[in-house]
Amino acid sequence: MSVSVWVLCPSVLWLDSDFTLTENTLDCGLGIAALRAALNTKPAFVLRGLCSVFYSNFMHEMECRVLSIQSHVVRGYVGNKSASFPLQVLGFEVDSINSVQFSNHTGYSHWKGQVLTADELHVLYEGIKLNNVHHYDYVLTGYTRDTSFLEMVVDIVQELKRANPNLVYVCDPVLGDHGSMYVPENLHPVYKNKVVPVADIITPNQFEAELLTGKNISTEKDAVEVMDLLHKMGPDTVVITSSDLPSRLGDRFLVSLGSQRTCKLMPDGTKSTQRVRMEIPKVDAVFVGTGDLFAAMLLAWTHHYPNDLKTACEKTFSVMHHVIKRTISYAHELAGPGRKPSPPQLELRMVQSKADIEDPAIVMEATVLTL
Amino acid sequence: MECRVLSVQSHVVRGYVGNKSATFPLQVLGFEVDSINSVQFSNHTGYAHWKGQVLTADELNVLYEGIKLNNVNHYDYVLTGYTRDTSFLETVVDIVQELKRLNPKLVYVCDPVMGDQGSMYVPENILPVYRDKVVAVADILTPNQFEAELLTGRKISTEKDALEVMDLLHQMGPDMVVLTSTDLISPHGDQFLVALGSQKMVRADGTTSTQKIRMEMPKVDAVFVGTGDLFAAMLLAWTHHHPKDLKAACEKTVSVLHHVIKRTITYANKMAGPGKRPSPAQLELRMVQSKKDIEYPAIVVEAIVL
Repeated sequence: MSVSVWVLCPSVLWLDSDFTLTENTLDCGLGIAALRAALNTKPAFVLRGLCSVFYSNFMHEMECRVLSIQSHVVRGYVGNKSASFPLQVLGFEVDSINSVQFSNHTGYSHWKGQVLTADELHVLYEGIKLNNVHHYDYVLTGYTRDTSFLEMVVDIVQELKRANPNLVYVCDPVLGDHGSMYVPENLHPVYKNKVVPVADIITPNQFEAELLTGKNISTEKDAVEVMDLLHKMGPDTVVITSSDLPSRLGDRFLVSLGSQRTCKLMPDGTKSTQRVRMEIPKVDAVFVGTGDLFAAMLLAWTHHYPNDLKTACEKTFSVMHHVIKRTISYAHELAGPGRKPSPPQLELRMVQSKADIEDPAIVMEATVLTL
Repeated sequence: MECRVLSVQSHVVRGYVGNKSATFPLQVLGFEVDSINSVQFSNHTGYAHWKGQVLTADELNVLYEGIKLNNVNHYDYVLTGYTRDTSFLETVVDIVQELKRLNPKLVYVCDPVMGDQGSMYVPENILPVYRDKVVAVADILTPNQFEAELLTGRKISTEKDALEVMDLLHQMGPDMVVLTSTDLISPHGDQFLVALGSQKMVRADGTTSTQKIRMEMPKVDAVFVGTGDLFAAMLLAWTHHHPKDLKAACEKTVSVLHHVIKRTITYANKMAGPGKRPSPAQLELRMVQSKKDIEYPAIVVEAIVL
């Protein structure tokens, strides 16, 4: 990649630097000096923004380590298979503990495999700890069926937070959808009383948000109150990934909402809250692994936009849109006209969506709610 | 690109060996990677400590059964590496044979990991399984000199020996053999090591020919883990794109390794500090940071056609 920088100085002198950017190494010491000179020259202020974007992009190699504890499937994209590749493509180091290893997700006609016990999880963590490499910037968890496993996860998160108080725990509190639970009921109190209190970002759907707070959501006002209740329980960032609220764009759209407690303080000393709303086009198919991809991408985009939930959500939902659109096109092509695609055909086109993951074109606008 | 790889290798929570080393680069190059994790360890066994669980041959079978019951046992490639268990390896052979019945064009890329520099670091009883069962169904083989000697029962002292050993390996099964490292003397001096490759091809008239190549690679003063796994995965990728051009495939593969290793050693030395030897944790491959080099490797080595 080569960049030409032209700068007009007040003494009508052109400074023209041609230098090569490599990923990590500064092969252009002279170029950097020229760039610094360029940035300090007043008439070049339009270019200044451009330069500093190039400058900061290649000066800063991201050092960000995520511990992701999720399922592994041999074939397809759910759990860690859904989360790892996109995060790695965005430059995150992903350490992954596979909570299960199955042939494929459980929406296929058949599935087979093995599960990790809470003890085995602990053993793996012990290995990391004995080597003194248990230092993480993020923890990411999703679908779990076992209460003792989940409780072990909480212990691990608490210890990792003691080792790094800035650690951000991104938690998808997977309990169910559309009014019914699809995990054992005894997970509910564990999430409510132990997990959510140590979470920093949570991504419940409407049903899960209602379960965790004990409050029903019928209006946007209800949803905002539920998100405030969730903030009180722990997380500063809450995204209700899908709801039954009527969309202003009609019934082909669903409504998602987000809420973030920011560092800015209100005049009365309380934290200010940014709330956003998104209208998401519905797709007539059942996808698996999209929630896992969502949580992973929300991790990535809140990392880059820590105080701007609007932008983080726009990027995250846009990635989802591109992946889903590519997936449904391909699935229909494989299934043939008039036929419903099968679960294997509906596997997310993850690898094919690399460019969209790296640099998602924004396809929706999040509205900031003013209340 | 619609190309599906079944990779049966180790998984480590932290770091890059086995499936962790192979999967991301292949995915970045557009391959669909189905991965069966033969073990799950906290990290590779070169660290001071390591902990985890292994998959038994039965459990491997169970996972494969799941794939088969859904009628999705269709692969273009199989990729395997470090294995310690003979029954596990035998189950892998059964699976490869069945997958080849379903897709006769399937290419099995096999790294016959047994040891290096004259000593074995897997149980001795793995050798007969590789020699008598695995190599026979392999299409691409990436032994080091020691492993090539073990498999053929022949010592390599000269380039001529190495070429003969590769021909013997062709006769045992694989049409492509790459001797990933040897003790042969490099004309560039002792800071370089010699790698060799041989590809057997069938001409239009039905006769066979072999293309043999030689590469000199700069030695690096550090112990890396996972580089062999990355090599086999990238050889899979680049032979896929250059199926009749071993020279081009090897130049790309070796170049990717060079870029990743260079980035890794630079970072490791920075982390360790001046005058200190980097630790295994610091020497983990800078895989994610090397994405661009994996996608578009600048060629930094020339393979000579012999």
